[in-house]
This record gives sequence, C-alpha cells and structure tokens, in this order.
Amino acid sequence: MQHDLTIFIVDDDPAVRDALGLLLGVRGYRTAMFASGEAFLQAWQSSWRGCLLIDIRMSGMDGLALQQELLQRECPLPMIIMSGHGDVSMARAAFRANAIDFLEKPFDDGRLIAAIDEALEQARSHHSAQEQRERSVHLLR
Amino acid sequence: MHKVRPTYLEFPVFIALYLLFDWATYVDPLYGLNITPWNPDPALGLVFWLRHGWRAALPWLVALVAGELLVRGLPMGACLTLLSSLWLTLGYGLLGATLRRYFGDSGVFDNRDRLFRWVLIVVLGALLNDLGYISLLSMAGLIPAGQWGAAVLRFGIGDVVGVLVSMPLFWMLSSSSGRQRLIATVWRAETLGYLGLMVGVLFLVFGSIATSEFKHFYFLFLPLIWAAFRQGLYGTALLVFTLQACIGAMVKWNNAVDIAVAELQMLDAVLALVGFSIGIAVDELRKASNELKRTLRLAAAGEMAAALAHELNQPLTALGAYGKACELLLERGETGEVMKGAIQRMIAESGRAADVVRRLRDFFRTGAIKLEALEIGQIMADVTAQFLPPMHEHGVVLTVLPSAALMVQADRLQLELVLRNLLANALESVQEQPPGARHITLSVRRIAGQRRSGWTRHGCMQLTVEDSGNGITAAQAVRLFEPFVSSKASGLGLGLVLSRAMMEAHGGSLWAEVATHGIFRLALPLVRPDEVPAAALV
Repeated sequence: MQHDLTIFIVDDDPAVRDALGLLLGVRGYRTAMFASGEAFLQAWQSSWRGCLLIDIRMSGMDGLALQQELLQRECPLPMIIMSGHGDVSMARAAFRANAIDFLEKPFDDGRLIAAIDEALEQARSHHSAQEQRERSVHLLR
Repeated sequence: MHKVRPTYLEFPVFIALYLLFDWATYVDPLYGLNITPWNPDPALGLVFWLRHGWRAALPWLVALVAGELLVRGLPMGACLTLLSSLWLTLGYGLLGATLRRYFGDSGVFDNRDRLFRWVLIVVLGALLNDLGYISLLSMAGLIPAGQWGAAVLRFGIGDVVGVLVSMPLFWMLSSSSGRQRLIATVWRAETLGYLGLMVGVLFLVFGSIATSEFKHFYFLFLPLIWAAFRQGLYGTALLVFTLQACIGAMVKWNNAVDIAVAELQMLDAVLALVGFSIGIAVDELRKASNELKRTLRLAAAGEMAAALAHELNQPLTALGAYGKACELLLERGETGEVMKGAIQRMIAESGRAADVVRRLRDFFRTGAIKLEALEIGQIMADVTAQFLPPMHEHGVVLTVLPSAALMVQADRLQLELVLRNLLANALESVQEQPPGARHITLSVRRIAGQRRSGWTRHGCMQLTVEDSGNGITAAQAVRLFEPFVSSKASGLGLGLVLSRAMMEAHGGSLWAEVATHGIFRLALPLVRPDEVPAAALV
C-alpha cells in the first residue's frame, strides 16, 4: 500500500538529509531527497504522490516560501515542516499554510513517524478521493 | 570580635611599631610634649582597633605610656602621663569603635560615600579627642596660658593628618586580601616612576619650603595624579604615605623646625584627600567598565548561543535519525555495509556537534572568533534571502547592487548576525514610511586601506545598508552605539553595540551616518592583496 507513496525530503544540510533518508528507508518508506527548494520545484511533477518533509531554514528559498509556492501551484502533497528553533510565528505561518505538523529539531523518531503516517494517510485519502472523482467523471461520460 | 583569632605576636609587634612611629615622627614638638604636626601612630592604632576591637585598648595604652617614657623621657610626670594616656586611649578607642561599627572588617573605603564617612568620623573624633587631651594638659599647667588654642590646633592637625595620610595604607596592609591587592596594583616599574618623580619634585621644591614658601608645592600634584589615574586608591595610598614620610624625614634631617610644618601638613592632607577622591573615582569607573564589558560579553555570547543552537540542532537531528536507523537494522540482524556507513557518519556528526560546542565555549572564555575567507556577496545573498518574506509582506523593495567579488576574513556566524541585525533595523525603520516609499539598498565597494592603522595594507571592504527611513539625527548618532539605549519598545538596545563589538574584533568597524535617510556602514579588511598595490588606490 505504501509503495506508491514517496516521502520527499527537502533540507540543505546533507547530513540531516542523508540520516532521515536512511531512517525512513530502513523503515520501508520510499524517499527522495532534494538539497534546496529550487531543486524540488524544478523536478516536481503533479503526478507525484506522497508527502513533503521540508526544513524551514535553508540558504536560498526557505521552507515557508517553498510551501507557499507549492500551494500556488496547487500541489496536493501534504507537508511537514522542520525547524531548527521553535519560532512561534514561523510555526503559525506553517500551519496556516496547511502544514500537517511542525517538528522542532532535534525531534524524536516517534513524532516524525506519527507525522509522516498522518501525512501519508491524508495523501492516500486525497488520492483515492481524486481517483473516485475521476472514475465517476469517467462513468458519467 | 569573636571571629578574629588573637595571634599573640601581634600585640608586641604593634607596640614596637607604635613606638617606632612615635619616635620617628617626634618632630617639631610643642613644649617638649607629644604635640607634633604629624602623628601616624594613631592611624596604626585605629587599624589595630578595627581588627581587635576593645582588646586593642590595653596594648595601645601600654604603647602610649611607653612612648612618653622612652621617646620623651616622661615630661609630665608619671601620674599625669598615665591619666592623659588613659584619656587618649579612651578617645582613640571611641573613634576606633565608631569606625569599626561603620566599616567592620570589610576593608578600606571603596566608594565616595565611604570615603566621605571615613573622613568625617576621623576629623570629628580626632578633634574631640584633641580638645579633651589639650584641656587636660592645660589644666595641669603644662601648656602656658593663652597657648591652649595653638596647642589644640597643632595636636589636632597632627592627628587628623596622620590618620588621613597613613591609615589607608596601614588598613590595606592589615588584611591579606588588601596586601595582595596592593602588591598586584603597585608591583610594577611605573610605581618607581611616580615615586621617583615625587621625591624629585620634593627635593626641588624643598628649598622654597624650607623658607616657608609653598608656592611650588603644587608640583606634587603631578605624581599624585599619575598614581591616582593609573593605580587608583591603592597607588595613591602608597604615594601619599611615602610623600608624608619623605617630608617628615626631611624636616627631621634638616632640623628645620622653624618652618611652618603644620601648614605643610595641612597641604599634604588636602593632597591626600584629592588623591583618594580621584583614586576612588578611577577605581569605580574601572569597575563599572569591567562589569559592562562582562555584561556585553555575556549578551554577545547569548546571541552567539542562539545562532549556534541552530547549528547544533542539525548534527543532533542527524545523530538521532542515524541512531534510530541503526537500532532498526540491528533488530533485523542486518550488520553489513549500510550499518557501518551509518555509524561512521554518526561519528562524523558528533564531531561536528563537538565543534559547535567548542566554539561556544571559546567565545564565552575569550570572545574568540573563527576566521575564514568568505565571499561577501554570498553572505549577503544568504542573509537577504531570509529577509525576503518579511520584506515582501511589508512591501519593502530590497535592492542588492552588484559588485566585484570581494573576499573578507571573518567569522561567518558573526558576520551573518551583524548583517541580519542591520537589515532588521532597516526593515523596522522603513515601516515609518508609506508603502511604496520603502526601499532598502545594500551595496559593497572596496576602499583603500591605510586610513586606520588597524586595517591591513591591502584595503578593506565597505558594505553599506541604506534605508528610506527617517535616518539618524546628530543627537541620536552620539548615543546609538551605547548599550541599553534603544528606540525600540522591546530589546535591550544591545544589537548595534554587539554588532560594532563583533566588527571591531574582526579589525573592522561599524558606524552610522547622520543623514535624512538611514545609512549604516560596515568595514572589514580584505583577505588578500590584489595585483594593484594599495598605495595606488589612495
């Protein structure tokens, strides 16, 4: 069931990216990694399914800007925001832009998995709702 | 009273020292009595009293009687000697008890209030004691009729001057902490300098002093000011005591009893008071400035800690994730290359975390900075990127003017902190303008070095942050870089102070220009000399 869903990790810190990739990979999730918001936007395709794990503070485009940009492009991927310091105003901004969760680094494995499962659940339901809609549209024709 | 353990050697030593001072300063006496213009012995007694309280009374009485006997040969008979010595012990004892009540064992006066209180107690106490003592001698017929006033004046001046001039030094010497501080303060070649100057001046003006003319006495202020400014109260105490001792020695040596020694003493006491006042002011100033420096360093360390905490979070996050991954791999019994790689990377990450902690510790300890060659354009791009969302939100147009690539030698974290601080200030000040008139411009240019001695010869980089806010008035510019002066509702107003301190630690500088719009400039030395010699650019 999970195999058609990918976790897209966007973090400019190579070690964090690599470690999260390994951890999620060992747990059986499929992951893809990007070193910056720009790199993700360039590669992004609307057919991608899964969720996003975004670091809020990156050189270049930051996490909140990427989130805004993706919302504008109507990207349906649920997003989890990670932050180096618990900045209340940033967390508020992230949630207002429909983030699933706001994780403060360094975070506990349990919280990460819980957030990812919630995000994937949402992605799945969104996905199936969309499929159903498409199917009904197809049937109506 | 209960805390001081009597070391029994102290009592005979006190009596011996007291007699020595009594003998050495038995100069220009009146009617062969102990009425001399400089009595440092009560100063010794008072310090002794401060240490031992009423237990000092008996040794002091013994010393007074022995002084009459050995130094003056009992000029007023055994009975009266005992009586007058008892009176003096009582009078000095009251003075000592009062001082002990106000000063306890907390050491020499260390602020102006305490100096004033000390002077007041000493002057009033000594005069009271003086009145009783001279009246007693007068009643016994030892002082010629009509001379009571002159005797009171002479003895009073002697006591007051003796205590004012000598007591601080004795006081310092009486406690081990005072001795340590005195040695730490005056144990340097400079001390010989001002003492030498003082002796030289004294010899030069002594000719005129010998003929009762004090017109060159003011030259003695020079070594006094030197001592007070450089070494504070402790240096001054040493100087005025030495000065007094030299004056006493000269008068005694030259047998110049015809000069107005009492007037000379008054001048010396005033000199001492001026010196102590300056010394205390200098000490207080130095203390305050050290405290401020420490506060600033702590605040700077706090800012650094916030910046470093973010850096520390990255390796910690990676470590946690790698660790969890390894645990999962172990559970599955996979111990191959993947696991080995993860563990190696964990070691690398813990090294990275340790490096961050080390930097923070270094900063706390010394304010140390980690210099690396940085391209200023890159730093500016990184920092301005963080400001794009708030700039956009407030309708601010941020322009970064292009420039040639310039490499500076700086600590990345600190330079970013300073730039962030400048941009945050600019963002705040343009909000006073209506939307549409909110501009912030960043520009970088290279300027030739050699304008300040601290800058490297191959010139420096000047970064300018201009904003369309209301700018800085001349009055504000004066106070802008003072700590705890803030135009903002929140914050301590430390941002600019810290930023300047950080830039100065880099050998650079940070300043604001008085203008109708905001201009802040920052200069940093460039990394390497170009082909063009700096001199050609001037």
